[in-house]
Amino acid sequence: MQPITVAISDQNVGRRAKFEHLLQGEQGIKLLINPKSNEDDMIKNRRLIPRTNFSPVEDMVAGIRRLNPRILFVNIKQCIEADCAMLMSLRRECPQTLVVLLADESVQEENQVLHALASGARGYLNFEAESVHLAKAVHVIDRGEAWVPRKMLGKIIDQVSQWCQISSGGYLDSAR
Amino acid sequence: MILLASQLEDALARWKQGMRGLTHEFCMGTLDLLKEDIERLKPSILLLDYDLHNLGGSKGVATLMKLSPGTKIIILSNPISDEAEWELFKAGVRGCCRKDIDPKLLRNIINAVQQGELWIRRTITCRLLDELGAIALEKNQIKQAASDLLANLTQREQEIATLVGNGENNKQIAQRLAISERTVKAHLTEVFRKLNVEDRLKLALIVTGSLESSGQTRSGANLHIK
Repeated sequence: MQPITVAISDQNVGRRAKFEHLLQGEQGIKLLINPKSNEDDMIKNRRLIPRTNFSPVEDMVAGIRRLNPRILFVNIKQCIEADCAMLMSLRRECPQTLVVLLADESVQEENQVLHALASGARGYLNFEAESVHLAKAVHVIDRGEAWVPRKMLGKIIDQVSQWCQISSGGYLDSAR
Repeated sequence: MILLASQLEDALARWKQGMRGLTHEFCMGTLDLLKEDIERLKPSILLLDYDLHNLGGSKGVATLMKLSPGTKIIILSNPISDEAEWELFKAGVRGCCRKDIDPKLLRNIINAVQQGELWIRRTITCRLLDELGAIALEKNQIKQAASDLLANLTQREQEIATLVGNGENNKQIAQRLAISERTVKAHLTEVFRKLNVEDRLKLALIVTGSLESSGQTRSGANLHIK
């Protein structure tokens, strides 16, 4: 059976190294080099002048498309910039790559996580996640399922059922 | 308070084992009796047998939820399809599990649901994310459509529509803009005609949707809808 290819994108070098270390050696998982981790080398090796006509998002998505991982762990801060432009672009350009968000548990980030999940991310993990959870999330998401804490699922279903109610006219009726 | 509803004594006896230390009551009757109990007791949690006579699946659950919106419903059933289970969650239930569940696990589910968590099978969670994405897309389309509609208004009409969106009445709008109430009414009539809405409630819904999408503040008279 082919291993599941995984890449990690986080501008925090130490944290990225920690995640790569946690995933290394996990059965059935093949870690790919992060597109951002060797960006300088890539530019030196492949082109003398960095591309200035590409936005950072386009540049990052191009790097991910070259790597073509099945699962991509991304720091949520990179995802939510410009109204989740990166997630939208990844969905379009790399539909086979499934994105998992890395974030902390602040309330502000909770709303950002919901927004990012609505924009196509398939999972969410805390920065403090242990290797066993990382590996499990990889396998679960590869199977086409989602990896989201139950509490956040509760918030998502609140939004879904509220919208179902609005769509069926429940709120308008009650406002009359 | 937790309400346990089933017509099967065996099921209730089993679920009761997980209730140690929790205030609970039983409802062993028909759907009508359950409706009465829900309205009277307003339980925090309802453990509901999916096979309760005449429940009517997700529609019946939605009816029960309207009677006590604060009640979190956990469905206990024999194996049902992903589709049927998903419909129950869309109706607003907070958990689904098997009727013959281990009472200890049932207690865990109750604790989780009480803390705002959702007890859902992982195979259905992807539907939840798909639905969330579809809703976000639909909301954006509605906001865009509302913005397009409002762009057809004159600047003065936009100001008045914004103030209606803020919940102000004609007199307040007239005072704020230093014009007569009659002029406000004339502008509003034109706004209603252009947007094809009959009342200020619908106008307010359009305006608030548009303002949220363009990220503008909702206070003050000098707002301009994009």
